Order: sequence, then C-alpha cells, then structure tokens
Amino acid sequence: MAFEELLEDPVIQKYLHDLVGPTGMPVAAAPPDGEVTDEELAEELGLELNDVRRALFILYENDLAAYRRVRDEDSGWLTYLWTFHYENIPDNLEEEMHRLADALEQRLQYESEHQFYLCENCSLRFEFEEAMEFGFECPECGTQLEAMENTRMVEAMEWRLDQLRDELNLEAA
Amino acid sequence: MSAADYDLSEDERQALELIRESGGIYQSDFWKELDISSRKGSRIAESLAEQELIQREEAVYNGHNTYLLKPRTRDLDFSLLMAGDMLTPFIGEEEVDAQSDAFSQWLMNLAYEEY
Repeated sequence: MAFEELLEDPVIQKYLHDLVGPTGMPVAAAPPDGEVTDEELAEELGLELNDVRRALFILYENDLAAYRRVRDEDSGWLTYLWTFHYENIPDNLEEEMHRLADALEQRLQYESEHQFYLCENCSLRFEFEEAMEFGFECPECGTQLEAMENTRMVEAMEWRLDQLRDELNLEAA
Repeated sequence: MSAADYDLSEDERQALELIRESGGIYQSDFWKELDISSRKGSRIAESLAEQELIQREEAVYNGHNTYLLKPRTRDLDFSLLMAGDMLTPFIGEEEVDAQSDAFSQWLMNLAYEEY
C-alpha cells in the first residue's frame, strides 16, 4: 500500500470518506503501489465493479487518481490502468482551508450585522425584520419568538478564523 | 518533529524551526534572523528544500530577487477544517455558500463542542 503516512491522519481519512462515501471507502483507503485496473480492485476488495469505478472517477475529479487507456491486442477492449495521486491531498486541503476562511469571513459579517429571533419549539431562526413581520410569533406553530444571542457562535467563528489566518499566513481583511 | 528531522545539523534544525514558526520567510531575512552569513543561509535553505522539508519559491522582496521559504503544505494543521466530528461542508462543492444549512450545522458544532 502507498501513502501510508498520509492515510494515518484522521482528517485525511474523513476527507476521503466524504468524497467517495462509505461504499467507495475500501477503494480510497487502500491505494496500491503502481498501476491497477478497476477489475483487479473489484476482485481484490470484493466489491461491485460499478462501485469501484464510481469511487475511482470521484478521485479522478479531485486530482487524486489518474488513468491511462490501453487497448488489448486480442480482444480490442480498452483497459483502464489507474494510479493514485494522494500526494495532491495536502494541496487540496490547503485550498479547503482558504475556502473555509472565506466562508467564515462572510458569515461573520452577516452574524454581527443582524439580530436574531428563535422559535424554541421548532428550532427555527428568524432575522429581526422577518420576526417583526410575523408579529414575533412563529409562522409554523404560533409560539412566541425569543431574542437569540449569537455571541457564543460569533466568538467561536472569530477564534477559528484567527487560527486559520495564522496557519495560512493571511492578513486580516 | 518527524523521523526525517533527526538527521539534521543543529543549524538546519534551528532554520527549519524558524521557517515553520514564521509560516514563511524571505531568504534575505532568514539568514539575518539566524545570525549566520548569507552564503550559509542559502546553503541551508537549499539543503532543506532538497530534503523536501520546506518549499522554496522564487520571489521578489524589497525590489530584490530572493526566495520565499515556506513549510511544506503537508505540515499544515488540517484539523482546523473540523468542527467536532464534522469536516468543512464545502468539500466537493463548486461554490462556497456561507449561508447554507450545512455550514450552519458546522458552526453549531464549532460553538458548542469545541469552543
């Protein structure tokens, strides 16, 4: 198996799992050294060929696998020879850290510029203007809406955004 | 500190630490900070880059050509993508939607499980 050191990282395992899903995970979790065909993988892992192919194409779309096609001289069939490129995982995750930092920045602005009201019965959250339109009663169940503090969430967001900026050497916007 | 770090000289070890702690430093500041000659600084940076312990990129700084010395991407703390046991919801998504329900869920996890 290749890329063992990377695959020990629980975040990387989670990342692969989120990409390929539980059925694809046996394919993603055990990348062989060198080239392999989809049929070989299916047989080795005891999986449906379709599930193997689906996982491989998801990895391909995320730059984590590549293939070359070879035509069998006798049968004329095309064979796909796959290689795994998990060396790209750190760069992909760095990109995700940047995207997360952007999202936190946008959302922080929204959270700090609005006041929120909550229906404790339905766990629905309304902006102040919406809540006023409904006369501070939940449109679903009629319960009175309560003012909702989001300080704790805003603080948690600021804290994580600081950590991300620090790790990525980003300047505060 | 990984297994590969143990084979380094004391100078190289200090240099690596400086690069990791700074998160990225120009070579022209690097040797001054370490209080060594520019020639020695350059040699150490080259050696660390060759061992793939750092990334060394050409850069222009204060009007001079120099190098930017950065920690390897794989040394980043990827756990910052997690809130509780949930990974950032933007993986595999074309667009980042900061108002999505999935992101709200992630933020709830962040506020109530970690912070």
